Amino acid sequence: MEKKALIFKVSALVVALVLALIAGIEFWQLRHYKETIVASEDLTEIKWFSDYVPSLKNTWMDTPVFIFDSGVEGGTVFVCGCPHPYEPASTMAAYLMIENIHVEKGKVIIVPRANYSGSTDGMLGDAYPKFFHVSSDWGITQYRIGDRYTNPLDQWPDPFTYINYPSGQNLAYQDIRNLNRTYPGRENGTLTERAAYAILEIIRNEGVDMAIDMHEAEILYPVTSTYVAPPTVLDREKFLETGEVVYYEPERSSLDVAMWAGMTLSEQFLMKYSASPKTLHGLSHREWADWSDTLVFLMETPEIFIDKITGPRTEALMTEGKDEFLQNVTDKGLTYFPYEMDFGTPMWYRVGRHLSGALEVVLDTAMFYPELECICSWPTYLEMKEIEESGKDSVGAFLKDPNAPENKDRAFTIYYKPVGDNYDKYMK
Amino acid sequence: MSTTMLTLILLIIMIAAFVLSSIKLKSPDISMAVAAVVLAIAGTIAVPELGNPVRYLVEGLFVNLDLALLFIAASIFVNIYAHSGAIAAITRGVVEKINNKWILMSIMGVLMLIPGALTGAGSVAIFVLGGLVNTVLEYLGISQKKRTVFICFFAMLSAACPPINLWTMLMTAQANMPYVGFTWLLLIPIVIAGAFTIVFVGWGAKPQNKEETLAKFPPKDPKLKWWRIVLPFVAIVGLFLLALYDPWGLPVLGLPLMFLIAGLVALLCNPKKTTFKEYLGILDDTMEQVFPLVANVLSIGVLQSAMAATGVRGLIGSTAVGLPLVLIYVLIIIVGPICQGCFNYGVSIVLGGPLIFMFNTLGMDVTVICAALSLIFPLGDTLPPSRIVGRLACETTEYKESYLSFFKTLVLPMLFLGAMGVAMMVLHSKLAFLY
Repeated sequence: MEKKALIFKVSALVVALVLALIAGIEFWQLRHYKETIVASEDLTEIKWFSDYVPSLKNTWMDTPVFIFDSGVEGGTVFVCGCPHPYEPASTMAAYLMIENIHVEKGKVIIVPRANYSGSTDGMLGDAYPKFFHVSSDWGITQYRIGDRYTNPLDQWPDPFTYINYPSGQNLAYQDIRNLNRTYPGRENGTLTERAAYAILEIIRNEGVDMAIDMHEAEILYPVTSTYVAPPTVLDREKFLETGEVVYYEPERSSLDVAMWAGMTLSEQFLMKYSASPKTLHGLSHREWADWSDTLVFLMETPEIFIDKITGPRTEALMTEGKDEFLQNVTDKGLTYFPYEMDFGTPMWYRVGRHLSGALEVVLDTAMFYPELECICSWPTYLEMKEIEESGKDSVGAFLKDPNAPENKDRAFTIYYKPVGDNYDKYMK
Repeated sequence: MSTTMLTLILLIIMIAAFVLSSIKLKSPDISMAVAAVVLAIAGTIAVPELGNPVRYLVEGLFVNLDLALLFIAASIFVNIYAHSGAIAAITRGVVEKINNKWILMSIMGVLMLIPGALTGAGSVAIFVLGGLVNTVLEYLGISQKKRTVFICFFAMLSAACPPINLWTMLMTAQANMPYVGFTWLLLIPIVIAGAFTIVFVGWGAKPQNKEETLAKFPPKDPKLKWWRIVLPFVAIVGLFLLALYDPWGLPVLGLPLMFLIAGLVALLCNPKKTTFKEYLGILDDTMEQVFPLVANVLSIGVLQSAMAATGVRGLIGSTAVGLPLVLIYVLIIIVGPICQGCFNYGVSIVLGGPLIFMFNTLGMDVTVICAALSLIFPLGDTLPPSRIVGRLACETTEYKESYLSFFKTLVLPMLFLGAMGVAMMVLHSKLAFLY
């Protein structure tokens, strides 16, 4: 009997080790997979988060910052991609901007993977696919789908409740690893707080006039398909001197711009606007405006994978967004997006929305405040729609082949530290 | 085949695998893991695009890793503390000094609330104080079944008790709400339900002879001074307070490490001569004691992962939120706890989040709704497949009769709390003054 039990235990251990090995290989692949992009010819400089917060150097939270400066005086735009890596249309939109941008006036700064660490693991218990694929004329490219939070391999353990700095507001414990709950961040805080601080430093030090944060949201969430912008901002001086929290209406209002942009875009797709609440801290649309002088716009596209109550969670569900359960709850009037399962929420649609959504606020800011004019261009929703109608993958159509000889000098591997020689040419 | 039909078949396969495995193996923990593997395999056959299920099954093991570590660390702390004789001394002191049954039961109830209120896990309340409370209630002449009910119910209440209510936290995180305004909304119903349970359990019980009871305790150890008893608790409470009131001045320690530090303090305060080998024995016994619970929370993470991947989670969640409002009020008291039994804290994501959004659509006060759901969900900690708190309470009191016989007695306090939760949902707008 004892021998039988021993054989069972040894066998169980061997099975466990084999499973651990198989899973371990997959975890390793996700952690170390490197994406490569081709920056547009307008690229002028690359910085890193660690240039703003040196302690981030050689950590998995360091990430490249692509700067496109026209050399002509004008407004400065900051675009934040991948604050939540499990919202991959945000990253893809940033990649398409970097690959295709042309700047005639002003400066555009793009961070494609703001929470690099979070892109290197999956959503525990949510069974997300590791990767999704985009097809182009020159091949199929693989991109990561990550976590909502910083990878616990890089920041762990969590406290029993997270207290946002400096508001002192209590948030859920795991939000200490949520980049979009840790703003304005701390220079000597946790890894995520330091990344948040680096973003605020970019906004302050580079003189950013418009800051755009790209997200995706569940369609059960009221703020899906929406611009979020603050109608009022914190009186920083008073807060720092007395601790008193007083909000005032700034001279320039990002909410006005967002309302106008939403109305303009409504000819193409539903884009609502919402005022950032004063009572919820740690989010970009609140803290970026409170702790810098920039105009802030957060954008949410509809992404049903986040809704949790979907059918089988395949890569197709992520890239096409067709789900019977979400159709059922939409039919009962419970969603905030006119979801049609036949169309779904495909990746190109979500990426296209971000691209046009960002461009629209840049254009409309110039209309409201001419002194902030930045003239730039990248692919738009309508261009992508036209390509889709011809039967092609419009995301892939705007991606460049990093192995093509004409692109090799501007191909950049996205990792937590520079890989290859190309970075050296652009790092001052 | 429609997604609904496909996932319904997968749900039936999962339930069948769990039931058959439970009958054969007599272990809910292994049965959950078996059900998860069977479901993952069936899901991959039905939907080949899901690919290799090994990664997400193993990922599931990490869903509740922090909770498992907390269970281990809290148990190590308590066992070292108990080894020093401190728990026996406290129990002796309480029995000696307090004569009123209701006051004694109320003190036990309040004490039980504290560990769960600070950690968010009801099981920790049982680990830390279950043995002590059991002894005191036994002295009060309360039957074994009702002692189990008391410990189990107060453990559930302690998990829901502010400041740390994990269900509320997870729902607020999903709904982009700050974790503020819940103190009175949670505390008042908890106090009412606690008072009801004290009366329910204590009614008719006659305390045993005090001298005879005291004679059963180990003799007083003259070396065990008051500071040796108090310091380990000062350490753990101090670490909590520091983390709450100086969050940016200290590195994040995490609950498991905080309990291990308190365990170290307990070790240093131990007046007995204890060898290194004896301490190793305590650790060994602790792991033996806590292992089924660790297996339970890890297995449930694996099952949660498999249910998410195959769409079974979506079937349950979308069906629940699609029900008419009146039916939700009627069924939430059943469906909520059942989902808790299946998903553990994951119920907040699967069911809680969508329900919050749904109620928000209807213009209801979601802060009150969120608090109400956070009072209802913990009831599922007594339901299969996990029944974590129920099982632990039975183990603490060494209750040997069938689980069902204990559960039948527990139903009344559970219904009382559940009904209060539903009443809060219905009367949401009238309770807004509480936050």
